[in-house]
Formats: sequence, structure tokens, C-alpha cells
Amino acid sequence: MAKLDVELTVNGEKHKLKVGSQERLLDTIREQLKLTGTKEGCSVGECGACTVIVDDQAVNSCMVLTAQVDGSEIITVEGLESKSGLHPLQKAFIEKQAVQCGFCTPGMLMSALALLNTNPEPSKEEIKTALEGNLCRCTGYQQIIDAVEMAAEEWGA
Amino acid sequence: MVEYQLLRAHSLDELLEILDQRENVQLLAGGTDLMVDLHHQDQKFDKIDYLLDITAVDELKGIQLGDKKGEIGALTTHAELVSNPEIKEKLPFIAAAASSIGSTQIRNRATIGGNLANAAACADSFSPLIALGAEVVLRSKGGARRVLLEDFVEWPYQTIIKPDEVLEKIVFAMPQGEYYSSYQKIGRRKALSISRISLTLLAEVENGRVKKAQVASGAATPFPVPFRKVNDYLNGKSFAEIDPIEAGNIAADEMVGITGERWSTPYKRPALGKLVERAVEDLLEEAGYNG
Repeated sequence: MAKLDVELTVNGEKHKLKVGSQERLLDTIREQLKLTGTKEGCSVGECGACTVIVDDQAVNSCMVLTAQVDGSEIITVEGLESKSGLHPLQKAFIEKQAVQCGFCTPGMLMSALALLNTNPEPSKEEIKTALEGNLCRCTGYQQIIDAVEMAAEEWGA
Repeated sequence: MVEYQLLRAHSLDELLEILDQRENVQLLAGGTDLMVDLHHQDQKFDKIDYLLDITAVDELKGIQLGDKKGEIGALTTHAELVSNPEIKEKLPFIAAAASSIGSTQIRNRATIGGNLANAAACADSFSPLIALGAEVVLRSKGGARRVLLEDFVEWPYQTIIKPDEVLEKIVFAMPQGEYYSSYQKIGRRKALSISRISLTLLAEVENGRVKKAQVASGAATPFPVPFRKVNDYLNGKSFAEIDPIEAGNIAADEMVGITGERWSTPYKRPALGKLVERAVEDLLEEAGYNG
């Protein structure tokens, strides 16, 4: 089956790619771009491990065909760290011990980033809503919510 | 093995042309249902030669609410319905239903048209729109037709959309005068929850009396229906004459009349009755009746 031409901006870098008709954004990110921070969990939109940001919105990358987001701007967990060091969200996750096995963490970080980009001072309820599509089987969530609250404070400061 | 050719439409004309020219075309919008089927290599793909992505068709997007009429484009996402200030103010039951769907990630992609066209028995978009008396506009290259949403679903996952048609938008008359609404849902958990039962009550009232009530279910019946007997019970009654428990019982009987006695009836009968009771109580409370 013929491949399709798409152009994506991922973490600020432009890529011209050929994608298959069944290729999911998750596959493109991991297999073609070798950005393996984004994880595949359930593959059916339940767990949020594959969450990335597409045009400012948190999206399950397992539920999107890459061809559907041709021309989009995408941020993955690899886009958080900059030359000046770790992102305030990453620092807060470490500080609050919001990571145990770590498999859900990239998705959690992306959902949290999408929230803080549009709502820099979220309430606890708004944080919970932003993270409701991300499952974590280790932490019990409290440390993660604490970390997002801390990042919001640090980032705004 | 699943095989199809992936196409992308960039305008409504292009979309209708493709539907006119080709056969065995499956439309793809937000993908939150279809991508699950694709992952499971569902046999529905055996009959699909073309998968047509319509997410770039701008004519299918947007919300317009006037004084008399309203319309919602089929590609409007649930996230847009939740955050739209006019929906929140004038049709809060639509925002409530949309916010109960999936998760933030799902709501950012999933569309109202996709929810209707997929026609799962548990789809949350039906009950608020049926309560509104909404119609869907089905467009093909040859023209458009309007169909009452309550006549749109023939059976779970089966609608009256023809192969050359696309669900373009949802149109409805705006509720008039003084009106109140309530959206109720029972799921097994809070987020990412599949509705067990959902329900919308919309009522126009005048001088302490119900002028026009519309109660519609989701998930309680194989496909969404208006509860006409409850509407009849409420219509014309003064607030003092309304017994929420009786309204609930009427709805429960009406549901069982449609579904027959099933394994789930001992649960669903009282649960649906209670939801209707709560919705009617909401109405009376919001209307300021303290009987």
C-alpha cells in the first residue's frame, strides 16, 4: 500500500516523513523518530501512557493516525528538557517522588504540561480532570497531583 | 489482515465527491472508537476499502446558537462543547454530557458527530440532543435531508446514514422562555466510564407549571428514545402536582416496556427510576419550588 507524505514539527524540529495508512502517531514517534519516551500501554485509549501534545492539546497517540495530523506541532516528553536543564514539571515529579516504575510518567507529564500551558494556576479539581485519562498503578496519584501543584507554583514564580 | 487505502478530504465538496465516486468508504473523525476497532483488527474492516479522514473539513466544525435556532457541526469535539461559553450558559446539559465522556485526551479528539454516527447504545450525546428535539442533517452530493435524531438509530451501531452521506451537523430549536435542565449518568467509575444509564430532562415552564417536558434516555434502552409517558405525566402540571417518585416509576415502566424483562432489569428499573426522580427534583429546585 502506498505511503503518504506528511510533515510534522516534533519538539520544535521539522520532519518530512512517509507514513503507512495504518501507522499511528505513536508508531511514528517511537519507530521512525526513535523518541521512545512515549510509551505504549493499553493501545485503546484507556491508560494515557502514550499521551503527547498535538497543537496544544493532550492526545492519546495510539488513537490517531499520523496522516490525520499532517502539518501539526507535536510535543513529546523529550521536548521538556532544555539547555537550561530539566523542566519545572520534571523537577517537581522528582522532588515529590511522583515516579515509581515510571511507565506512566511521560504521559502524566504531557497531560500536566497541556494543562499548565492553558491554565497556569489550576485548582486541585482541574488537575485531577487533566490527569483523569492517565492511569498509574504505583503511586496512588497523590504524589503526582502534589507535583503538578508544585510545578504550577514554581513555574508561575 | 486489515487493508484499506487512506484518503484525506480537505473540503466538504471533496468529501462528498469521494463518497459519490467510491464504494465501501468508512469515514474517520476523532478516531476514538474506530482506532480501537483497528487495533483489534475488527472484522468490520473486511468491508472497508477506503478509510476517509474528514478531520480537516472545516465546514463540519463550529457551534452557532441563535435566539430561535442552534446548530452544532459534526466535527465539534466534546472538549469544545465543554468549554464553549454559550453552550455552558444556554444548554448546560449538553456540556454536562460532554464532560462525562472519556477523559481529557478522548474529549480533545472525539467528536459529537462521531459519537452519534457510531451509535453505541451507551453513547452519551444522544439523550441531551433528543431532549432538545434535535435533527441531524445528512448531506450527499445530491443534496441534504433532515432526520429527527430519535429516528436516526435503527439498532445499536446501525444508523440510517446512506453510504454516500455524511452527518454534517445537528440542528435544533432553542428552548424558549423559562427553562431548566438536568443531566444524570451512572457509570462504574468517574473517568473513562461507559454509561450504564444516562438521562436528560429539559423542561420549559411558565407560571409555576410545566409547559413542555422532554425526557430522553441513553444506555437504558438498546437505542436512545424519548420517554413520552413521562413527558405526558409532566406536561401541564403545576409544580405542586408533580411527584418525582411517580415520574421515576413511569419512566422505569416505560423502559421495561421497551427492553422487556432482562437480567439487568432488577438493577436498571430502580436505578432509572431514581435518576428520573433526581432530575425532576433538580427541575423543581432550580425553578425555586420548595413544596
